[in-house]
Amino acid sequence: MMAGELEIANVSKAFGPVQALRGASLNVGSGEFVSFLGPSGCGKTTLLRIIAGFETPDAGTVQLDRQSLLALAPYRRPIGMVFQSLALFPHLTVAGNVGFGLSVRRENAAEIGRKLSDILALVGLEDYEKRRIHQLSGGQRQRVALARALITSPSVLLLDEPLSALDLKLRRQLQGELKRLQHRTGTTFVFVTHDQEEAMAMSDRVAVFRDGLIEQVGPPQEIYRRPATRFVAEFVGETNIFAAVRESGAVYLPDIRARFPGGRSLPDAQQLLLSVRPENINLLSSNDQGGVEARVQEVDFGGMTVRFSAQTMIGERVLRVAVASEKANDIAPGMPVRLGIDLDTAAALPTS
Amino acid sequence: MTGSGTRLSAVGQAILATPKTLLVLGFVGSLAGVVLSSFLGKDGFPTLELYSQLLGSQVIQNVIVRTVWIAATVTVLCTLVAYPVALFIARSKHRNLLLVLVISPWLTSIVVRTFAWVVLLGNRGAVNAFLMSTGLIDSPIRIIFTPTAVVLGLVHVFAPFMVISILSVLLQQDRRLPEAGMSLGAGPIQTFARVTLPLSLPGVLSGGSIIYLLCSGAIVTPLLLGGLRDRMLGTQIFQELFELYDYRRAAGMAVILLVTSLAVVIPMQIIDGRIRRWTRG
Ligand SMILES: Nc1ncnc2c1ncn2[C@@H]1O[C@H](COP(=O)(O)OP(=O)(O)OP(=O)(O)O)[C@@H](O)[C@H]1O
Ligand SMILES: [Mg+2]
Repeated sequence: MMAGELEIANVSKAFGPVQALRGASLNVGSGEFVSFLGPSGCGKTTLLRIIAGFETPDAGTVQLDRQSLLALAPYRRPIGMVFQSLALFPHLTVAGNVGFGLSVRRENAAEIGRKLSDILALVGLEDYEKRRIHQLSGGQRQRVALARALITSPSVLLLDEPLSALDLKLRRQLQGELKRLQHRTGTTFVFVTHDQEEAMAMSDRVAVFRDGLIEQVGPPQEIYRRPATRFVAEFVGETNIFAAVRESGAVYLPDIRARFPGGRSLPDAQQLLLSVRPENINLLSSNDQGGVEARVQEVDFGGMTVRFSAQTMIGERVLRVAVASEKANDIAPGMPVRLGIDLDTAAALPTS
Repeated sequence: MTGSGTRLSAVGQAILATPKTLLVLGFVGSLAGVVLSSFLGKDGFPTLELYSQLLGSQVIQNVIVRTVWIAATVTVLCTLVAYPVALFIARSKHRNLLLVLVISPWLTSIVVRTFAWVVLLGNRGAVNAFLMSTGLIDSPIRIIFTPTAVVLGLVHVFAPFMVISILSVLLQQDRRLPEAGMSLGAGPIQTFARVTLPLSLPGVLSGGSIIYLLCSGAIVTPLLLGGLRDRMLGTQIFQELFELYDYRRAAGMAVILLVTSLAVVIPMQIIDGRIRRWTRG
């Protein structure tokens, strides 16, 4: 079954003087898991609510399987939603909540009972049918909300920061379950999150929002390795941004007055803006030539990798560096180091 | 009170202790006095004679039934009138203005408002004039001094309580809950019936309890609009006290009033409490 293909084109929405969306566009394939990632107030929830039908866009189109959704009332859209606050019905039991969508459609009791036990088994809540919502833990409520939204087999499921209220351990566990559930049901998932690790770990593609626009859409690796803009580079993961000047066979970084070889994969322009991830900076030994002298500031030991900040002697730029632990055994604050930059893994950003 | 929020100093408590005690003693004491006196015979011995006399009287039986019936009718009508109003106000942008309009009748005294109904419902009143002009009736119908007039007057006086009671619950309701209903395929009517309405029942029940109590004890409206024949317990007690000076009978009827009201209101409060406990989450 191929269904659940979303096409969002040039959607704008203003709330009075606040421009929440300024022409956001995005296509989501059938059965795809797409995350919306971005700082607070950039329009993620607004776009989700427009897809669900709770807000009408000022301009733009929203299509599901090539049919416009805009004329359809929310309750006629084959779209499920998991709210940030969960919005479980406090006056109903778990069975009443989860079965709500079916009883609204007046399916017969036997059918409802069958689907109910199927979906409750799927989310691991078999014995909780008769419980009331206030008798459930946070994780259990989360599962009820998921089951409630999935039982009517929507083509698209919208999830607005569904895990943000949970503690880290439960969150990781539910992330896995959510991903498996999406795989099992083949439903298109649109998932809003603040947490970039969550977005990176779960999504087929990530849409990075900035100020009412979608700045970049792509698979997690691409977003990380080939950020389209300086904003994306800085928002997703850590990075070091340099202005750079191309020279023959090398690239000169005026900020730290250092020259690094390579950079053949970089664009042809004379003036460049580069994003260098911490892991693309390496420690050079004292008898190596070139590189840049720096002094280590604070050090985070993270198991396989050590992350540290180092301030360059020239230019006093603070760089973020990540190296494999075994190569940085004796790294300590105050230590002088010589750093190299692997320019072939750096990403060029638009200079304007 | 000293329970939550601000704490009073020991001095403050001591200063307030006297009026507090007086108030409690005065209220509980006089209530106990009323109850006790109704169970004492003229000879000073405990007896149920007064009650067998009161409850045996056809007139009093009619008054009790009429009181319960009118209070129940008014409560139901207030709910029917107030619910749509509360819903409209809850969804309106001009919430505060509308709320002021709803409670603005409280700026005039209940006597004045009730007299307005006398004017409207009288034989030459606006209602009869209108009905006759439409040709629905040939001669004025009697509305004033009937239970219908009392019910109308009481609904007018008490409906704002219900509006406020329902409104406060509706405004506290999570806006996402009806949206969740809609995202699950429930149209506006189903969403209302399955989500908004059940969750607002606590407001209906507390509003209903207040209105039922106020109606059972109402005096001014039944006195002015109900005339002399269709008495309610409140007016009956008023008459015993201020016209016949029979304090014992008045006390007996007050106890009957208390018991009949509590018999309705306590179950309502229990249901209300149970629903609130569920919905608090
Ligand atoms: N109903 C509304 N009325 C007025 N302004 C609104 C409304 N809904 C959203 N906004 C504004 O629109 C902007 C985008 O809001 P939105 O909720 O979409 O952000 P978000 O990306 O979901 O943020 P967060 O990550 O904090 O949830 C914000 O500036 C917000 O204040
Ligand atoms: Mg949001």
